[in-house]
This record gives sequence, C-alpha cells and structure tokens, in this order.
Amino acid sequence: MSGREAGHGPSVDPDLLEVAPGTAHEKLEGSVPSLANEDDLRKALEQAFDYRGDVSITRKDGSIIEGYIFDRGIDRNNGTSLAGSFVRVLPKNGSPKIKISYAEIAALAFTGRDMAAGKSWENWVRQYWEKKAAGEKDISLQPEKLD
Amino acid sequence: MSVPISQMWTVATYVLKQKIKGRKQYPLVLMLEPLFRCNLACAGCGKIQYPAHVLKSQLTPEECFRAVDECGAPTVSIPGGEPLLHPQIGEIVEGLVARKKYIYLCTNALLLKEKIHLFKPSKYLTFSVHMDGQREHHDFSVCLDGGYDKAIEGIKAALAGGFRVTTNTTLFDGADPRSVRAFFDEMMDLGIEGMMLSPGYSYDKAPDQQRFLGRARTRRLFRAMLSNRDKKWRFNQSALFLEFLMGKRDYACTPWGMPTFNVFGWQKPCYLLQDGYADTFAELLETTAWENYGTESGNPKCANCMVHSGYEASAVNDLFGSVQGMWQEVKARMFGEYEDASALRLLDEPTKPAHAFTPLVQIDAPAGEETRV
Repeated sequence: MSGREAGHGPSVDPDLLEVAPGTAHEKLEGSVPSLANEDDLRKALEQAFDYRGDVSITRKDGSIIEGYIFDRGIDRNNGTSLAGSFVRVLPKNGSPKIKISYAEIAALAFTGRDMAAGKSWENWVRQYWEKKAAGEKDISLQPEKLD
Repeated sequence: MSVPISQMWTVATYVLKQKIKGRKQYPLVLMLEPLFRCNLACAGCGKIQYPAHVLKSQLTPEECFRAVDECGAPTVSIPGGEPLLHPQIGEIVEGLVARKKYIYLCTNALLLKEKIHLFKPSKYLTFSVHMDGQREHHDFSVCLDGGYDKAIEGIKAALAGGFRVTTNTTLFDGADPRSVRAFFDEMMDLGIEGMMLSPGYSYDKAPDQQRFLGRARTRRLFRAMLSNRDKKWRFNQSALFLEFLMGKRDYACTPWGMPTFNVFGWQKPCYLLQDGYADTFAELLETTAWENYGTESGNPKCANCMVHSGYEASAVNDLFGSVQGMWQEVKARMFGEYEDASALRLLDEPTKPAHAFTPLVQIDAPAGEETRV
C-alpha cells in the first residue's frame, strides 16, 4: 500500500530529515492471526506481504499452500471485493507461482522464520568486538546455508 | 571522460528518440536481478532477506533475454544477490553483449578473479565492484574481514584482463567524508574507469533499520565529499545527479527510469521499493499508480530516498531535455571543481563512524562528538 493510499501526508518535511526512521518489525513468526472478518483478513494479508519469511495459507477447500507472498493486489475486472483481491505466492515446494483470491482463504499462519530477525547492525558490531577481544581473526557474518 | 563516447552516444540517441516519439515514461537502465542469493550477509542490505527456496531460485538466460528485449533500455545493470553465483552468468552476459547492451555487472568481487575466464573484454561489459569505502569501513560494511583486499584483488585481475571496471559505493549514516575522499584517491590510483555513489535506501526488509541517511544529512555529506573536488576523480554517473546529491538542484523521482526484473517478475514501482509485481513490462507501466511514489508524493517509504534508481533518470532526462541541461552537464564535467570553503569546514567536523564503536567499552561520547556531517 502506498503512503497516499494509506492516507499518509508528509508529517515531517522530508528535506529536513537527518536520519531516516527505519521500519519497526512486529514479531510475527509463529503467529496465527484471527480472521474473524474482512478487515482482519485484509490486515493479516498485508502483514504477510511485508513478512520476511514463508507463510501457510489454508484454503476453504482444506488445501494448504506454504510459501512466500511476493505480491498482492486487486483484479482489475473484479473490483475491490474479496473475490477480486488476491495474493501471489511462490510455493516452498518448488511449484510455479500461484494466485489465491482473498475469498478462498480460510486461515493464515506465519510458519516460516523471519529471515532478518536478530541480524541488526548492533548485533554484528557486538559480535565483531567480542570475537576480536577473544583473539579471533577473519571475522565475518556468513550467509546461511540453503540446504 | 569516465564514460566512453560510444556509450554516451547510444544513450543520448536513445533518449532523444523517446522524446521525439513523445514517450513520457521510458526506461533508461534495466535492473536485471538474476538471483537474490549472495555470498555476503551485509546488515544494511534489503535484497537478500528471503527463505532458502527463494534464494535458490534464479532466472534462466532465456528469461533474462526476454526481459531485456521487452524493456528495450540501452543499459542493463545486473545486481542481485551476487550475480557471479549464477551458474550461467557467462551465458547471460554473452547474450546481452550480442544485443549490444551496455552492461554493468554489479559484484562484490569476491569471486571475480576465479570467474573472470567466463567473460570476454568488451566495450559493452563493465564490472561495477561494490566498494563501500576504505579498508576498515568496507570490511565492516560488508561484515567480512578481508573483504576489501579480496575485492581489490578482483579489480586488479579484471583490469589486467582488459575489462572496464567501475566501483559502486553506498553510504550510510556515520560515513566519514574525509575517509571517502581518501577512498576516491585509492580507487583512481588503481586505474578504474570511474566511480558511482549513492546514499543507502531505507529498505524496510533490511535487518539494520538504524543507519539510513535522511535527505538533509545526505546533502551535507555529499557536499562535504564532492566539493573542492580533486581533478583526477572520475564519476561514472551524471554530473547533474551528483549536484542533486549535493543539494545544488532538485528533481522529482522517475521510478520507471530504472525498472527491475527478477524471479518474481517486474517489480512495482522501482528497484528499491517492493509494492507488488507485474508479469510484463507493459503491465508494469500501465498498472502502477506512479503518482503514489517519489518523495513529492508524501509516501513515507519514499521520504528519504535520493537514490540513483529514482533520481539519476530524472537528471538524465533533464540533461537531454534542453540545450541548457546539456550545457550544465558539460560545464559540470569540464569545470566542476565546486570550490566551497564551508564544505571544507564540514570535513573538519567530528564524525562517529559506525565501525569505531565498540559496545564492550561503554564510554559516553560528549555531545560535540556526535556525527554532524
């Protein structure tokens, strides 16, 4: 959602910004949002779109798709109804991208790990100096193993 | 001159053709991300925070060629992830050279020496090596001891092989302008073609959310760095864009100027912000609500952005939009030393580089020691 769509005006003159405020990430890993009504569903799917890990979507037919939500939007032909709103998912099992209508969704769970959680700059700096103090050399942050 | 005449001519004629056709939205550089996988784990990077199955996905050479043909931009930048990790990167580059696209292969150069044999020197191919500053600063920024030395080794191997080499530098809060100027000297002494600079964008998916420069501080930092310029420094980007970073001119964002294609499709609206994806380039242009983006839109996600992917295209459009724009670019390139006594004083202000802070020794810095640049 863009700032304008969300009703944000420029509360601070951006040209006066010294340091850009970063994004505070809610801890969503492992959570299962309640989808009691349409607002809950839309809010949860927006959070899932911003999430840095996989989610599991249970469809009303009982099937479960686990994967990464990389897109959400409104079908131009169906308007803003639940049937016309969708998420697109890259499934974890290697299947091709899949489009799921909001109207098909029965449940959502943040089942995958938040891939950036705990990797802040401060943690890196602390880790660096601790290792340095312990006499270690060639200190680095390594990408995680993919298998 | 930091960009070959043939490349300038190609870009200039392309832009003029778009203007003659009356095209309001045209791409200048395609940002082609063949994969998100990387061999670094930089805390400030917002491009690699994906689950393993996404990081293992990659574009095929055919998908890359289709995107390049569909987009039509004269220049293709290949960032990532680390493109040298792509098993078919040689084939991808060869296909783009055959299409006479000017390619900037953006790499951290850790594998450059090992993989240089995959490429042939060409006026169309430039290795754009990620260097964030002098040794200590770079190593800290990429979270890898020895990263600077390894990258320099890669640069030297590429230069020795007859390749075009530039550097790309991303600056965050805490950057020391004096050190960055010394870094410019180091890079020029290596014999590279030119340097590219950008303030870091506040990726909302990046692990580190604390060190993104705001616009006011960006302008002071770039004014301190780029005023009173050494004549030997060469920059591989528009002089007008650098003036924008120094606060000498203002531009609105051109988010469609550097469109991005990756494993998810065409990214809306730009290289930095992920607000969804389109399946085709035409769909991207048609369905993106462009008025909702750019600092002037009031979108908080665009508030601090002064990054090349949105604003360099604006500068290039300005350059070719009028005789005056062209003259200003030429003037800046020929005579732009930007003498500025107040900018010299900025260099003397104390800075607190992020890597200088050790949390193991908690000594409160006096107020005067805060980063001011």
